[in-house]
Amino acid sequence: MSSFYLRTESIKQEDILNLSVLNQNDNDIISALISPEPCLLEGSRGTGKSFLMKVSELKIENENKNCTAVFVSFNISSLINTTDTLQFYHWMLAKSLKALLNTLRKKGLVVSTHSASLLSNDESQNDNEVEKDLKDIVKAFEKSYKGDSKINLDNLPDIEDVKDAIEHICRDNNLERIYFFFDEAAHVFRPEQQRQFFSLYKDLRSPYITCNAAIYPGVTYFGDSFEPIHDCIFKKLDRNIKDSDYIDYFKSIVFNQAEEGIKDAIKNNMSLFLTLAYSCGGNPRILLKTIQDLNKFNLQSVNQLIKEFYREQIWSEHTELGEKYKGHKVLIDWGRDFLENVVIPTIEKYNSSRKEKDTKESSIYFWIHKDSPETVKESLRLLTYTGIIRKVDSSVRATRAELGSRFEVKYGCIIALQSNPAGESKNFFNSLTLKKFPEFGKNHPSYGSISQLTDTVEDEATFKQSLESMLQKPISVLQLLTNWQKEKLNKTGIYTLEDLHANTETDLIEKIYNVGPVRARLIKNAANAELLEYLSG
Amino acid sequence: MDIKEYLEKINAECQHIFAKTIVDYTESLGKSHHLSACIFEYSEFLFDENEKELLTTVSAQIESSTLNATLGLYRQAFSSLRLAFEMALGCVSFSVNKLEHYEWLKAKADIKWAKLIDKDNGVLSVRFANAFFQDLSPHISEFNERASKVYRSLSEFVHGNNETWTKSGIQLKFNKDLADHYFEQLFEIGEIILFSLSCRYLNSIAKNDRETMEFLSTQFSHIEPIRVLFGGPKE
Repeated sequence: MSSFYLRTESIKQEDILNLSVLNQNDNDIISALISPEPCLLEGSRGTGKSFLMKVSELKIENENKNCTAVFVSFNISSLINTTDTLQFYHWMLAKSLKALLNTLRKKGLVVSTHSASLLSNDESQNDNEVEKDLKDIVKAFEKSYKGDSKINLDNLPDIEDVKDAIEHICRDNNLERIYFFFDEAAHVFRPEQQRQFFSLYKDLRSPYITCNAAIYPGVTYFGDSFEPIHDCIFKKLDRNIKDSDYIDYFKSIVFNQAEEGIKDAIKNNMSLFLTLAYSCGGNPRILLKTIQDLNKFNLQSVNQLIKEFYREQIWSEHTELGEKYKGHKVLIDWGRDFLENVVIPTIEKYNSSRKEKDTKESSIYFWIHKDSPETVKESLRLLTYTGIIRKVDSSVRATRAELGSRFEVKYGCIIALQSNPAGESKNFFNSLTLKKFPEFGKNHPSYGSISQLTDTVEDEATFKQSLESMLQKPISVLQLLTNWQKEKLNKTGIYTLEDLHANTETDLIEKIYNVGPVRARLIKNAANAELLEYLSG
Repeated sequence: MDIKEYLEKINAECQHIFAKTIVDYTESLGKSHHLSACIFEYSEFLFDENEKELLTTVSAQIESSTLNATLGLYRQAFSSLRLAFEMALGCVSFSVNKLEHYEWLKAKADIKWAKLIDKDNGVLSVRFANAFFQDLSPHISEFNERASKVYRSLSEFVHGNNETWTKSGIQLKFNKDLADHYFEQLFEIGEIILFSLSCRYLNSIAKNDRETMEFLSTQFSHIEPIRVLFGGPKE
């Protein structure tokens, strides 16, 4: 069928606003992005984070002449492999400042001193403005990471020099504020580099600068110096298939790009469109891609495509994640197995038994106990990156009043199991209820293979290496533990994270009086949560 | 009124148009300067000194076109812009036709537009893209058409088609339509020039150097092969 823009990057700047469809949540996000407060926008792949950032950028450009928006895309570069964190920090700064200079030049606020000028050299070199400072700063940084020569780091400009230069630019040009929009930052970088990124994000805070960034759930590592709740506005981008404007919203997104032929086909087969729209679980890219991949807009093609896409193709993105986060590979693969072989079949069984009883209840939800092993929680977090599952809420009471988190499996992944997905979808959707969900307790048998952190490690030597500095830390850093627990641990000779890591839950129960299975799990989870973040470097 | 006085009056009118243009068109002027600066920056990545020099001239030529436009000398501005456009694509063509390049340097040959834009063998042909940046070949025909269109439009002012005289008039005065048209054409040729240069050179520029060409990855992030070459995401 016809082709759609599947990525914001493929859309020319001048076409963005014509293609945009915004609901209340989108508008709230845009308001946050154009506010002076720094903002992080979290959303799974393809939910439209870059698009909303582009719309915000244009809004600032068009409506607020006293501000300037700078869009920075951190692409995969040769420097991504550097282990020198300082060098990497300078690389990010240089990239951002270069993007700023280009933006200022485009706006006519800076004139290129290096270019072919109609002025004689003498005149152009007299240019002694602050813009030149910023150019010199970029040059110094570029030199430092290109490794052309040994650079004395003490002579390099620091973050305060950068902020001063930006402040001067703002004052000279009557600019109130410069907005940086960082796209793809957390996606392209390794965990250690992400931590560096967030420290830069925090360092750039100034009355003249606002930083916004798009991030993914599950695979974003903020580091110690950055707390998303305190250091910025944290917005989530997800769309609930039960929202009243859900179908209108997605129909407008498709119609803004579709040719007349497809629009007619959709209007004439609205129930097929509903099935496709619910299946994507609020993800515009997946909806556009599935419509694009259809041979014909009829029942047979839609059924075939839903089965192929939501049973097979959708998993490849998740599995590829293991290549990037090698330390998390076991958890990534386990998550897929758990969903494909345990959760989805359980939900399916749950639904078919209710169908037999004709109770008119269906579910795409599941519940996980709050004290499940940290490895299980991490594995589920990684699944939210592609959006195959979405966390609906936490602290939900289930059987025996136990507390846990509720997740939603993408509608398409459940309906794809039917022999006639599009035919079944209407009844299935109408009987969907968030109150019905299979439960997975804290010691579910399928957790067995990863219940210990050591189970998730393919290579002990690499594990030790990547966690070396973490393992040496004293257990006092574990904020989830009470002082009483820390004292008890110390008394039994457990001083560092490594000591704690070496003890199993059973060891703790045996060694410490008053520690039973619940507390042992809690203590282990606190340590594992800390270590898991650093598994991939 | 003597000749001195006469020219002073013309100059005063030019200054009047200039003062208005630089206020009304600040952003367009910024963008124009940015594009010509990008072409200059591009020239710094070329190996061949003669090609580099030619591209530098293109950049300066665009600046002088814009100066003409700000002074209300619209016809001269369009004409100069067309020249810059021809020279830029000429540079790309010369990079693969050294004999012609050296003949041109010795003023023994001309840059021929028809040859540059030839759909089968020109610098915006699939054959050309296949040789230097194959992934861009699906985009070639669009750019070839755009190049022909903008060249035709600029040529009308060079050849003095009757319609252009009614548009521009003989008298010197500020003309919003022509100023708008000028900047539209400049942005168009700027993009086509940067695309042609990328099609010819981008693959042969060392990765480390390429990474410092931020202006290009921003300009063409919507063209997937270029975006991917800069380490951006695939479709």
